[in-house]
Amino acid sequence: MALNPMDIYKLLPKTNCKKCGEATCMSFAFKLLNREKKLEDCKPLYEDKKYERQRKKLEEMLKPLEEATETGLIVDESLCTGCGNCVVVCPVHVEKDPKGAAVGNGPTIDDPILRVEDGVVKVINMQACRRYGKNRVLCVVCRENCPSDAIRFLEG
Amino acid sequence: MIMICPGCSCLCDDVYIKEGKVFNACRRGKEIFAKYNENRAVARVDGREVDVDTAIEKAVEILKEAKNPAIYGLDTTVVEAQKIAIDVAEKLNGYIDDNSSFCLGELVEAVLKGEMPTTTLDEVRDNAYVLVYWGTNPYHSLSRHLSKYTYYPRGKKRPRGYDEDRFLVVVDVRRSETAVLAKKNARFIRVDDDAELVDSFVKVVEGKAAKYAKDAGVIINEMKRADFNVIFGGLGLKYGLKDLNQFKEMVKKLNEVAPVYFIPAGFHGNMRGFNETLFERVGHVNKYSFRDGKSDEEFAFTELLKNEKIDAALIVGTDPVYSLPFEVSSKLGKINTIVVDPRMSFTARIADVVIPSAISGVEAGGTMVRSDGVRVKLEPLEEKEVNDVYILNKIKEGL
Repeated sequence: MALNPMDIYKLLPKTNCKKCGEATCMSFAFKLLNREKKLEDCKPLYEDKKYERQRKKLEEMLKPLEEATETGLIVDESLCTGCGNCVVVCPVHVEKDPKGAAVGNGPTIDDPILRVEDGVVKVINMQACRRYGKNRVLCVVCRENCPSDAIRFLEG
Repeated sequence: MIMICPGCSCLCDDVYIKEGKVFNACRRGKEIFAKYNENRAVARVDGREVDVDTAIEKAVEILKEAKNPAIYGLDTTVVEAQKIAIDVAEKLNGYIDDNSSFCLGELVEAVLKGEMPTTTLDEVRDNAYVLVYWGTNPYHSLSRHLSKYTYYPRGKKRPRGYDEDRFLVVVDVRRSETAVLAKKNARFIRVDDDAELVDSFVKVVEGKAAKYAKDAGVIINEMKRADFNVIFGGLGLKYGLKDLNQFKEMVKKLNEVAPVYFIPAGFHGNMRGFNETLFERVGHVNKYSFRDGKSDEEFAFTELLKNEKIDAALIVGTDPVYSLPFEVSSKLGKINTIVVDPRMSFTARIADVVIPSAISGVEAGGTMVRSDGVRVKLEPLEEKEVNDVYILNKIKEGL
């Protein structure tokens, strides 16, 4: 299931107390999703007993954040069949590996972003992904072409 | 070391094993390399463990005494072994058949007879524009078909990849996993009756109205834009159509307006190899009787078993107890069964004679034929002396 800031916001105290350093709870929700803030930064949520149920729900909800890579990519290996669509469609692979992944073969470069190992796709070098770093773009081609929904992103 | 994966008729040629890990193979391919040592067959005669030579001798004895022997399977072994198996069938004056009699044998036969223009997957990668997957879901049967050969790779004349340089068409009765991939520059046609769609294509070329005229019209217009289009036909096409001639006519008709090729979608690793080998020898692709000198529906292994026409079966590299309906496979208990298989399959457990063999592509080398007819040479990871060629040769000599 995709995480969205509105769902997170709904479970926050919504008091805009600014104890986390943010001006509003909404902006705190966005930062949580971007992993710039941690849930523990919201003091009232932990100090005030009345928020306990909400806090537990939030903890449950934010679990995928820990599994996800820096770019928000989550691979569910149990769903993957190793078709390699993601490896071949990746624009970064096409540019860096014109004789390998670009023409349908397994990657021939040492540090591809994704590689099929033991029949399932593995994340090898996330730093090369277009979603990484300052000039990132929200590329989702690998997810778009995954027939088994084994690849997803935090934002959906 | 680069290996050829014998898992299906894609015969992927970029698989390698390093530090105990299998790279680039799909889930099915990986299992073949990673688990090849599990559940191995042992030589058996009437349930007792014996040595391989005794088992072969017993097999020869059974085949010699049999009045109506049949040879079945052979789709996962190499062409070299298939040739010897055909020799054995000829010597026995018996029947020979493989899984293609209920798989895509008919489509391979049409291609081998030149009734439909065909091409290779490498040409498809470099040139093809419209790709039609008709009655097949490669996600399940041929995992890497789209990514390695057809839709996703960039080719010489198609450098921009799938979203601009290809047009994907999926024809199926349900929204399969492959159909889900048909998004931009693509079309999914859900059919109730394949014959209606075949008819629609023919009628649209002739300029007449038809049920699927809108879809067919769009696809034909796209086909006209390119000089290379291809249709992959699977089991859904074979069983969806009562008469394959209708489909052949359609391909001919489409070729009047744009070049359209046909490739059978895919099957067991070397099914096409068996079809081609038998076709070269006798002019038929499967279900052949050397006694009658012809191929017929009644000589299909399933029919022979069901009608109790045979008294001994030599089964090579397939598991009918697992794959055939119970009412058919249960008849194996009534006849003498010889199984040549690397694994202790369900059929091997009920067989009178079990001869353990080597896994083609892992422990035995040889030639296999890809779904498009390209011959691929397999190099073994470790050579095993007792393989299908050795066993079938011994049986042939013994007769």
